Amino acid sequence: MSWFYPFLQAVLDGILTGSLYALIAMGMALIFGVMRIVNFAHGAFLMLGMYATWVIFEYGHVNPYFGFLAAGALLFAIGAAVYAGLVRHIPVQAEFMIILLTLGVSLICVDTVLLVFGADYHQLNFPLLGKNFRLGSQISLNAPWLISFGIALLAAAGLYLFVMRTMFGRAARAIAQNPYSAPLMGINIHRVQAVTFGLGAAAAGIAGGLLLPVFYLYPDVGHLFNLKSFLMVVMGGMGSIEGAAAAGLVLGVVESLTSLYWGNEWALVVDFVIFILVLSFRPSGIFGSQRA
Amino acid sequence: MKRPQVMIGTVIFAVALVIPLFLHNDYFLQVIFRLFLFATLGLAWNLVGGYAGQLSLGHAAYFGVGAYGLALLSKGMSPWLAIVGGVVLSMICALIIGSVSFRLRGPYFCLATIAFTEVLRLIAKNLPNVTGGDVGTPVPLLFPHNSMRSFYYACVVLTILSFAITYWVERSRFGYYLMAIREDEDTALSVGVNTARVKLWALLLSAALSALAGALYASLFLFIVPDQMFGVEVSVEIAILPMLGGAGTLLGPLVGSIVLETASEVFKNIFKEAHLLIYGILVVLVVLFLPEGIVGTLNRKLRWFKAAPRTPFASAPPPGPAEESKRIPLPLAE
Repeated sequence: MSWFYPFLQAVLDGILTGSLYALIAMGMALIFGVMRIVNFAHGAFLMLGMYATWVIFEYGHVNPYFGFLAAGALLFAIGAAVYAGLVRHIPVQAEFMIILLTLGVSLICVDTVLLVFGADYHQLNFPLLGKNFRLGSQISLNAPWLISFGIALLAAAGLYLFVMRTMFGRAARAIAQNPYSAPLMGINIHRVQAVTFGLGAAAAGIAGGLLLPVFYLYPDVGHLFNLKSFLMVVMGGMGSIEGAAAAGLVLGVVESLTSLYWGNEWALVVDFVIFILVLSFRPSGIFGSQRA
Repeated sequence: MKRPQVMIGTVIFAVALVIPLFLHNDYFLQVIFRLFLFATLGLAWNLVGGYAGQLSLGHAAYFGVGAYGLALLSKGMSPWLAIVGGVVLSMICALIIGSVSFRLRGPYFCLATIAFTEVLRLIAKNLPNVTGGDVGTPVPLLFPHNSMRSFYYACVVLTILSFAITYWVERSRFGYYLMAIREDEDTALSVGVNTARVKLWALLLSAALSALAGALYASLFLFIVPDQMFGVEVSVEIAILPMLGGAGTLLGPLVGSIVLETASEVFKNIFKEAHLLIYGILVVLVVLFLPEGIVGTLNRKLRWFKAAPRTPFASAPPPGPAEESKRIPLPLAE
């Protein structure tokens, strides 16, 4: 049984990481599902969320587990502004123009942060960080990861319910189904899409705030998560947010197991190989029903 | 038909060939070397991204494989043979990448090209015994004598070659196939264009030119690391240049490279390591105000052609029932 506890530990760690992946991916899936926009600035939004939480912690001494709320609000505003100021003016059919646009937004975000805060790595330091939560004699879970996991789960559930149960969510899903008849049904398409873009960005911002205590911080940190969230959205299937969430959890576990058996440096390779395999054989996704 | 563009191109190349006679400053030569290097990469990208409308964000793959091919193969053979080896390797990569990702459309294609390039970058990082890993690997110097000037001339000649190839493609049947695929792949297929094969040929050509540029770049700097050759920033830069200048135009990549490299050189001193900021701002401005790029917009404004072929990615017509099916891209080509 000597293999069992390391395996279980890796699976549990993977689920903890995966919950944050899920939240990031849900934000991107929401934007992709409603507007068919591949948002290359998603990682940059995550990074902005991390920096916002960090600034509040460093200068306002607010615990990041409250600070992430401010990061979410800020990113909601930024997301809605990016939509209203930029994305809105590009015709939807010019999909590569939108990819380029979001790439440009991402470069601007990352390099502005680089100018203001410099390229240094930062890491939070507060008493909770070293604490572990022990399950039996063999398994131990890192306390800040557990808290982030709990909050991420709540945020993901909230986002899901908001999209599935409210009138706004219904309007967004109507646009996803058919962007041409939705306005005919009295939906203010630009307002709904601005809020959707804001919500997607806010999900990334909240995930950034939750990631801050357990990760390190530098201007280009979002890049890694950007590529992973593409993978999760494609795996989840055509902008289905529940599919993206499932893909996030699976990805977390797969990465964790790869690190355990092959070594950390191969985890990303496995990610991208999965990405290529999914794109070649199941481009409509593995999880979730195929929506619109 | 493309007279003005060819003439402007010829003037630029003539000036470029004369410059070293007056300019003895190695730093400036290196800046212009970089300008023409990225013009070559932009021209190579333009064959696939501009004419065929297949928007690759993974051209760093071919650039990097060309460079690593030279570095690794030259351990066992002469560097000139190693360059050929690098080009062949890069074309093999293009064959694999193309045959998988050309089945995909729209954003899916774009993401697939990124994924392949990332796999190559990580492989280069994770196999320290073969590639030197994160530490990097030395590259042989191709021109030991009068080095900077030789590199400069080699690069300008490579750009001229790419320009000539683009000129040929633009007027050939092959080029018209590519443009047909860009405008409407299904229609192209239905009138008998073997779209899969045509796209693959364009990518092979593009990969070969990119690999040559990669080898030249690596040899000048004598040492390469994975992030510098395979990084997403490289792919983005390669794609942005022709988009800025005008994708699907002969002169576009050259103009884009001149504008962008000059801007980045000027702003490097102001913004230090944040010099990509200017890229971001330029990209956003181009997308908003010049969706056809500089040359594309000038073409339309000045009516240099009587019946100008539509440049790609221009603002699409307002959505109507006919466009509706286009909005949601089919992930798989049928």
